[in-house]
Amino acid sequence: MYTRKGETEMRELTYLEAVREAMSQEMRQNEDVFVLGEDIGLYGGAFGVTRGMLDEFGPERIRNTPISEAAISGAAVGAALTGMRPILELQFSDFITIAMDNIVNQAAKTRYMFGGKGKVPMVLRTPAGSGTGAAAQHSQSLEAWTAHIPGLIVVQPSTAYDAKGLLKAAIDNDNPVIFYEHKLVYKTSSEVPEEQYSIPLGVADIKREGKDVTIVATSYMVHKVLEAAKELEKEGIDVEVVDPRTIVPLDKETIIKSVKKTGRLLIAHEAVKRGGIGGEIASMIAESEAFDYLDAPIKRLGGKEVPIPYNPNLEKAATPQVPDIIEAVKELVRY
Amino acid sequence: MTLTTTKLPPHITNEKLIDMYKEMWLIRYFDEKVDQFFAKGAIHGTTHLAVGQEPSATGPIAALQPKDKITSTHRGHGHSIAKGTDVNRMMAELFGKVDGYCKGKGGSMHIADLEIGNLGANGIVAGGISIAVGAALTSKMKNSGYVVLCYFGDGASNEGAFHESVNLASVWGLPVVFFCENNQYGMSGSVKDMTNVENIADRAAAYGIPGKVVDGTDVIEMLNVTYEAVENARKGNGPSIIEAKTYRWKGHSKSDAKLYRTREEENEWKSRDGIKKFKELLIAEGLLTEEKAKELQQEAKKEIEDSVTFAQNSPEPTIDSLFEDVYA
Amino acid sequence: MAHGIFMPKLSSTMETGTILQWFKEEGESVEIGEPIFEIMTDKINIEVEAYEEGVLLKRYFDVDAVVPVNTIIGYIGEEGENVPDESPGIQSDEDDAEAVTSAQASEAEVEEVVAVAAAAETRAASNEKLRATPAAKRIARENQVEISLVAGTGPEGRIQERDVIDFIKNAPKATPLARKLAQSEQVDLASVTGTGVNGKILKQDIAGALAPAPVAEVKPAQRKKLAGMRKVIADRMITSVTTAPHVTLTSDFDMTKVKEIRAQLLPTIEKQTGYRLSFTEIIIKATSLALSRFPSVNAALIGDEIIYNEQVNIGLAVAVPDGLMVPVLRDTNLKGLAAITAEAKEIGKKARDMKLSPAEMQGSTFTISNLGMYAIDGFTPIINQPETAILGIGRIQDKPVVVNGAIEVRPMMVASLSFDHRVIDGAPAAEFLTELKRILENPYELLV
Repeated sequence: MYTRKGETEMRELTYLEAVREAMSQEMRQNEDVFVLGEDIGLYGGAFGVTRGMLDEFGPERIRNTPISEAAISGAAVGAALTGMRPILELQFSDFITIAMDNIVNQAAKTRYMFGGKGKVPMVLRTPAGSGTGAAAQHSQSLEAWTAHIPGLIVVQPSTAYDAKGLLKAAIDNDNPVIFYEHKLVYKTSSEVPEEQYSIPLGVADIKREGKDVTIVATSYMVHKVLEAAKELEKEGIDVEVVDPRTIVPLDKETIIKSVKKTGRLLIAHEAVKRGGIGGEIASMIAESEAFDYLDAPIKRLGGKEVPIPYNPNLEKAATPQVPDIIEAVKELVRY
Repeated sequence: MTLTTTKLPPHITNEKLIDMYKEMWLIRYFDEKVDQFFAKGAIHGTTHLAVGQEPSATGPIAALQPKDKITSTHRGHGHSIAKGTDVNRMMAELFGKVDGYCKGKGGSMHIADLEIGNLGANGIVAGGISIAVGAALTSKMKNSGYVVLCYFGDGASNEGAFHESVNLASVWGLPVVFFCENNQYGMSGSVKDMTNVENIADRAAAYGIPGKVVDGTDVIEMLNVTYEAVENARKGNGPSIIEAKTYRWKGHSKSDAKLYRTREEENEWKSRDGIKKFKELLIAEGLLTEEKAKELQQEAKKEIEDSVTFAQNSPEPTIDSLFEDVYA
Repeated sequence: MAHGIFMPKLSSTMETGTILQWFKEEGESVEIGEPIFEIMTDKINIEVEAYEEGVLLKRYFDVDAVVPVNTIIGYIGEEGENVPDESPGIQSDEDDAEAVTSAQASEAEVEEVVAVAAAAETRAASNEKLRATPAAKRIARENQVEISLVAGTGPEGRIQERDVIDFIKNAPKATPLARKLAQSEQVDLASVTGTGVNGKILKQDIAGALAPAPVAEVKPAQRKKLAGMRKVIADRMITSVTTAPHVTLTSDFDMTKVKEIRAQLLPTIEKQTGYRLSFTEIIIKATSLALSRFPSVNAALIGDEIIYNEQVNIGLAVAVPDGLMVPVLRDTNLKGLAAITAEAKEIGKKARDMKLSPAEMQGSTFTISNLGMYAIDGFTPIINQPETAILGIGRIQDKPVVVNGAIEVRPMMVASLSFDHRVIDGAPAAEFLTELKRILENPYELLV
């Protein structure tokens, strides 16, 4: 379905299609870009992101790898260090554990350790999140780990539009970028321009303007928060939804500005609340000029301190849902 | 060229052989000098010395073309010097100075010289192996024609990354040669206790690639075997494993009391000093005289002393440089 | 069980006590009521008695030790009982009666504490107890609102932004001075009508609110600004009263002899000066003589220096329309009654006509204030600073007095001497007044 928005051809794409399109469009014009990962060839990727790309780009550039997260992450580093721009797909973000040394000790630090020589322009794309019944070892949200490492860029796009633009920016960036997709967000769709476009890394997006409460949300939580916002609107509570889009570097100014406006802050993410980026954002606000504008304590919603259970009801109970968001906002407003 | 005893790769000239001899002294003096400074506490942190392993740096790297690349280990000063890295800037790096290869921010285990194909030492055991595979992947994808010589130790061969990387390289037929310097110990772990095979190179069979064992004190053998493997890879025949049996004369690092090995063992290996053997070979071939050998040795020594002066004169990095180069 | 002996809190302000002496040694037995030790507080030395009997098991502090109140300084108990090696410090809950010594003081203290706690609960006493959000504090700061005045509607009484905004909106407009005064006088601004621009509340509106409300049906009060002589008098009075500790001695003088002498000298002086000699001049003369004998009463305290005046210059308080003036008669100890009379009369007239020169109003070393023309006996005159004393004269009235055991009718006059207790003590002042009495009751001495 094509619509024209000014000069741009826009059509509805799913998040998954948007990711594929971003990679394909870039690969068509840049020989150095290639994708490596498990089951990305004929199989089309565990979630179907690379479906059709083997046909277009061939096995050299859509490189199916053995199940060797350590080797392929290291190979991505080595290739990036010697002139390629690899996109590494880790089938589940939980498997980053096996690739951690190459991400943390090699990719993130090479340029710094080498005194500014060399660069590692790789993108590590990986789906995170719960809700598909994939259970404890295939449902985590671990962005806080990579957000903690200097030298990495961490991105968490929540919509198809954001995903396409941010992936292009990630590929163009000369640093290692960890690009977190979400299993349940893959099927969401939005209007996406046909042509290539880049959304700058480190810039947040206000998904909904409001004046009563600021909600900072990431990835799939953005969708839940927007749903909650509709409900809250009926009760006369007007929330502003800020989607950081990039976790590192974080767009602090946008968040600070929003909190100064509303005086109330809720941070919502699917990752376990303890040690999650919510704590980082809350502390950042408390240390900023926005502190003097807080009219209520800062609140966080995050996953419970449990591994993700298999049973669907338990699985839902382990992470913040729309009713939790509504209640949290109301508590803030009662203050 | 040819020695009376063996054939040599075509690009090895007499001059090269003499350079190789001096180079090994350069390596030895460098590491001995560094050892002294560490003992005095004049150098910060820790380092891992390759005294006794000079031949396995010089020999194999001599087999490479300039465009070929290496990845090194935590015990990489020798590899670095053999690949052509400047001893002045290496010493400055150990002193943490601005003129060091890493502007003082990397230290001993992260010295790299990307321009001449030295993809860097690595503080993670087996850390360089998958990176070497990636670099070889680039060569293949871009048709650059270079081969990556990947150094690793006996200990590293037990890391998961080794298995994954060699497998991946073999599956994709990448131009990488995996060179194992088996110095008998992974830190304090004797290879006999930590590995269930006699030769690490035997593991090559698990990946369907060639594996060869060489004498780590024999420069010429390593030169020839590496050359063969590298050219094979360059032709597109994929990776191979070479294992050099060698020994590090000093402890793992400066805080090593070497309780896990015996004096007899050390002395036995020292009697097989590869540099001495190479000198004798060159003299026997009429390519070197004792005086010339001594002269070269002295030259090497002087170069190292000069590198110390260079390092000492180099300025300290400013505190602002702390935040530089985190991102490109 | 062993009972702790405490440093008692003997007053609400006592914070430490110094041990002066112990009356019991360790190991000695103690009976109830026996003094165990003596302490010195900021006010008194006192012996502290035992409320328990037993053996003094431990003394933790020596003589001269300065110990905070409620600190355990020893233990009384049964022989052999275990007590700490060192003082356990300050105990808040006691299991023995030792604390009763300070019970009275502590009760008052406790009341104070309870009162403070109550106040804190209803209204935040300090910012520490205040619960307010950062946004609320910011708005308060920006609008110069004292946040403790704002009622909080948030959880547990937390002050929210909207509470401060409401407070400002509903708060009447007032000048900062007016606000300050309102706060210190605890006047609710809402109850005050502003007379400034747009109904803004001014300081005087607050002051007006403090004055007692006028009764209805009464004419509006006359207003006069305190200015001119009235203001000067007011300022000087307040200064004198607040800096000099006034003590007033009164004495009854038998003026029989003075009356005699006056009667006799009246014609002479009138012939000489044209003025009629009055009792005041005789009193002036007598006072001057007494002053020459009591330099401290003829002194001035200026700064921290007492200046013992050589001259005797009497200031004579003269009532003038709506005021008071004190013209000065110089060297009255050296002048005869005629001269004094003439001067006094002249200068008195000048004063009433408001024609005194500044010089004529300066330099007095002692002041006499005569209210004898009114039905006044004794009063408490206020010292004319920087002098150190003032004599007030009342009416001369026939009174029954006892003379030599019999009641007689004598003309009595009350003399009131107010003196500055910083410079003059009671005894010397009394001596002076006694001397003055003696002179006036034996006025022929004036000739000597």
